[in-house]
Amino acid sequence: MFDPISGRMSHYLDLLAERQKLVSANIANADTPGFRTRDIDFNFEFQSLMSGQQPGVIEPEGLSTKNDGNNVNIDREMRLLSENAMRFNFVSQLLRGEARDFRLAIKDARG
Amino acid sequence: MSLFNSMSVSASGMSAQRFRTELLAQNIANSETTRTEEGGPYRHQDAVFQSAPVTHPFSSAFQSSLDAPNSGVAVSEVQIDDREPIRRYLPGHPDADDKGYVAFPNFSPIEEMVDLMGASRSFGANVTAMNAVKDMISKSIDLLRG
Repeated sequence: MFDPISGRMSHYLDLLAERQKLVSANIANADTPGFRTRDIDFNFEFQSLMSGQQPGVIEPEGLSTKNDGNNVNIDREMRLLSENAMRFNFVSQLLRGEARDFRLAIKDARG
Repeated sequence: MSLFNSMSVSASGMSAQRFRTELLAQNIANSETTRTEEGGPYRHQDAVFQSAPVTHPFSSAFQSSLDAPNSGVAVSEVQIDDREPIRRYLPGHPDADDKGYVAFPNFSPIEEMVDLMGASRSFGANVTAMNAVKDMISKSIDLLRG
């Protein structure tokens, strides 16, 4: 966008949006027999997204499977949902500040 | 765009849960029904969910690898219970057989109430997810506003 840092921030937002989609899918499929929870390894993917790769989907381990083969833990998903929203909020505020600085600089240059 | 796609995913969850709620309400309403068009007492119905791709107007143009197939949910079939009906001795009943027994649906409305609560909570979880995504979209729009 404007500089390397805001470029990283927009990558971060992209990744959060992708993760939020997976969380929504997990919540929507909380009652689907045989559905396995899907997630992305956030820290790892943030590094690799910087080098232009597409994030990959993983199946998180350590979740207990119900009788119907479904392993969605609704508490985990709701926590991730609000965590993602908060992170997104935070970073978009930062990015907004950056955009405001630029706008100010352009305005000042006009005189 | 991915965030709008998330809303379609939550919407598919909401409509699946709403469908399930309708079936549960139908079951509760018919828990004492002894006469149906197919003949015999009412039979318990339940929705079976299956993960399914979401349909989104722009999806074909902007598909990424993460728009993995089957991220939404759909009702794949309605399972009709084949348990034997309960027979109660009610000789005066118009649907009684020659021995005076009437066939009643074999399920408990209490179980249906519990499932109804589960369905309504799941619906709420999808609404919360959609609200979180909506919030993220409006935050993105705010970036343009400065």
